[in-house]
Amino acid sequence: MYFNFEEENDHLFIVKPRRSKSISSFTLRLTSMIDMFTILLVFLLKSFSVEGEIMSVARDLHLPESTAQTPPKAAPILVVTNEWIILDGTPVEKVATVLNQQGNIINPLKTQLQQIRTFTEDLARLNVNMRFKGNIAIQGDKDIPFGLLKKIMFTCGQVGFNDMLLVVNQAEQS
Amino acid sequence: MNLKKALHRENRYEEAELNITPVMNIFLILVPFLLLTAVFVKLSILEFSLPTSTQAGEAQKPLNNPVVTILAISEKGFELKTKGMKIPFIIKKEANFDFQTLVEKLQKIKERHVQTEDIILAPHLSIKYDTIIKVMDHCRENGFFNISISG
Repeated sequence: MYFNFEEENDHLFIVKPRRSKSISSFTLRLTSMIDMFTILLVFLLKSFSVEGEIMSVARDLHLPESTAQTPPKAAPILVVTNEWIILDGTPVEKVATVLNQQGNIINPLKTQLQQIRTFTEDLARLNVNMRFKGNIAIQGDKDIPFGLLKKIMFTCGQVGFNDMLLVVNQAEQS
Repeated sequence: MNLKKALHRENRYEEAELNITPVMNIFLILVPFLLLTAVFVKLSILEFSLPTSTQAGEAQKPLNNPVVTILAISEKGFELKTKGMKIPFIIKKEANFDFQTLVEKLQKIKERHVQTEDIILAPHLSIKYDTIIKVMDHCRENGFFNISISG
C-alpha cells in the first residue's frame, strides 16, 4: 500500500487504485426483485378468494355499489343494460320497447322464464336436489330507471321467480 | 489504526451472501398461482323477495308489530311516513339526495319505535336503480331489515 487511508481527507486529489476484483465473478443483485415480489405476493394474497367466481359481469355493465356482504348464489342471470334485457346470455327484449309498453308484463321475457322453470322442474323429477327454487340474479346497470325494474320484477314474480338476488359491487371496506 | 483497518478489510472481503434462489423459486410459483385465483371485482347480492301467495295469506292476520314506515322517493327528495310521527320532506341537496338527513330521520324513527324493522320503499318510476340500492343500504344499516318495494 502506498497511501494511507487515515490521511485520505488530506489528499483529496489522489486517485484511488482500482479494486482488484475480478470481473468474472459478479453476482446479480436480487434484493430489489425480491422486494417487488414480496409486495406483489401480499397484494395477491389479499385479493385471494376461495369461492371462485360464480358469475361474471360484462365490462360495460356498471353495477351499483352496496355494503351488502352476502356472497352470490347460482341462479339464472338476468342482465339489464341500458339497451337490452339479456337472460342467460340471450338477448330477450329491447329496453326502449319495454319502457314504452303499457302493461307490466314483458311477454318475451315471460316466455323465456317459463321455459327455464319448466326445464328446472323436469330436472327436479330426476334429481330432488335440482328442484325449482325461484331464484333469479338480476344484474342491473346502475342507471336503469325504477319503472323498468318494476316491470322486470313483476314479470319474474308472475312466472314464480320470487327471490330476486340483486347483484351489486361490494363497496370497499373503510 | 490497525483495528479500523482490519475491520474495513474484513467487510470488503467477506461479503455475506444469502442464498435466495429457493425464495425466488417459491415466489415464481406462488405469483402466477395467486394471479389466477385473484378476484378483483367482488360481487355480492342483495336478497329481495316478492310476497308469494302463501305469505300474502299470512299478511292478512293481525300483525304483532303494526308500525310500518313508508319511504317515498321522488325526483325532489325523500318523504318519510310512519305511525305517530310527522317528518318534513327531505329535499335534495343540489343534484344529490340528502342521505345524511335520511339517516338521521331513520334513526329517530328507530328510537321511537324500537321494535320496528319494516320499511316500504315507494320510488317514483324515473328513480335510478343506483339510488334505490343506496337507500336500501341505508335502511339496512339503520335497523330496517324488512325492505319491500311498492311499485
